[in-house]
Amino acid sequence: MHDGPDPTDAAAVHRHLHSHLPSDPALRVKALESLAVEKGLVAQETLDAWIRLYDEEVGPKRGAHVVARAWTEPAFHARLLTDAAAAVREMGCHGHATGHLKAVENTATVHNLVVCTLCSCYPFALLGMSPVWYRSNAYRARAVREPRAVLAEFGVTLPEDCGVRIWDSTAELRYLVVPQRPAGTEGWDADRLAALVTRDSMIGTQRDLGPV
Amino acid sequence: MDGPHDLGGRQGFGPVDVDAPPFRHDWERRQWALSKNVAVGYRNIDHTRWILEQIPPAHYLAAPYFEKWCLRDMAGLILAGQVTLDEAVAGHATTQAPPAAPRDLAAAREALKANEAVFDRPATAPPRFAPGDRVRTARAGPRGHTRLPAYARAAQGTVTAHHGAHLFPDACAHGTETAHHLYTVAFAASDLWDDADPRDEVRLDLWEPYLDAP
Repeated sequence: MHDGPDPTDAAAVHRHLHSHLPSDPALRVKALESLAVEKGLVAQETLDAWIRLYDEEVGPKRGAHVVARAWTEPAFHARLLTDAAAAVREMGCHGHATGHLKAVENTATVHNLVVCTLCSCYPFALLGMSPVWYRSNAYRARAVREPRAVLAEFGVTLPEDCGVRIWDSTAELRYLVVPQRPAGTEGWDADRLAALVTRDSMIGTQRDLGPV
Repeated sequence: MDGPHDLGGRQGFGPVDVDAPPFRHDWERRQWALSKNVAVGYRNIDHTRWILEQIPPAHYLAAPYFEKWCLRDMAGLILAGQVTLDEAVAGHATTQAPPAAPRDLAAAREALKANEAVFDRPATAPPRFAPGDRVRTARAGPRGHTRLPAYARAAQGTVTAHHGAHLFPDACAHGTETAHHLYTVAFAASDLWDDADPRDEVRLDLWEPYLDAP
């Protein structure tokens, strides 16, 4: 038995774990998996299936199809901007963190940028796992305070009269940026347009999309 | 809590690593799957965040992202009485349970969709504010969990949307399920930081108890 901390005090439990667990994070995760399986809280096959689901099916392509459809179907565009949660449900790409989804549209004078300064909230079922930078201390700290410097690191420069509108995901609302449809794509169908829509453009760290 | 997680506006972190992929190591993928599939006895999502925020500050800032999820889930299992401290440190259970039923890809797909949780609840009082109203945020942060970031305290902004009543994290994290009106509030970036660009604004989703008339 440990003369351990009060097992109902989260901060004390954390201090104890931090000083007693192996320091390698891979071993910490292995320990958690062993415990969870032995306690009947999850099956290894379930973890494998989840990883495969995200590798093969759930990713930014889902969001790209939503954006391309909004560009080509005015009625869907209106539904997306009014109730994005319902609009993505209609396309079958709802789930984790899309229950209160909001779509925010870039214009000539507004550029939208999404961050979660307090943790790392993200519309996972729609965009897949977030990029490492989205979850980094640097992005979380800087996106709200110096968005233009952050955008410059992503290679984005804004027109002179364009403001940045930063959305800090502090509640359970999640944000999808709808980038501007690139010039020179008149007559393209939604599938062809979807191939132009990048993950970063739906977070706001890319602005201009182009026919490649 | 004024913890290390409240990063908005903090300085000294250097450039953003813009080329990083979603996962850098297999253990990160594994932890993502664990966090989404292990039945940890959390009270709710706010309780989950509150436990993670209590990782020791120096380690919070230094640890890889998914290691923090691992430590949170480990602590969550201990706090819920599902695993003992000794078992966590040993990395093995001293008492075995019947194995969990496995899920295949089709079941994982359904689980993802079923995870579309909603957090709005019937309002018990009329909203104090409406779009267009000027508001001022609270000056002090609570000792417990909150979703009002430090950088947006004691600041004046304008309500741009009202979303009805949503579950209130400051109470839910600590076991009391209440709901309050939720608003999107727009702040001129230059009202938050002297050196901000006057063209920019920051919008946050804030609950009524964080807000007052200016």
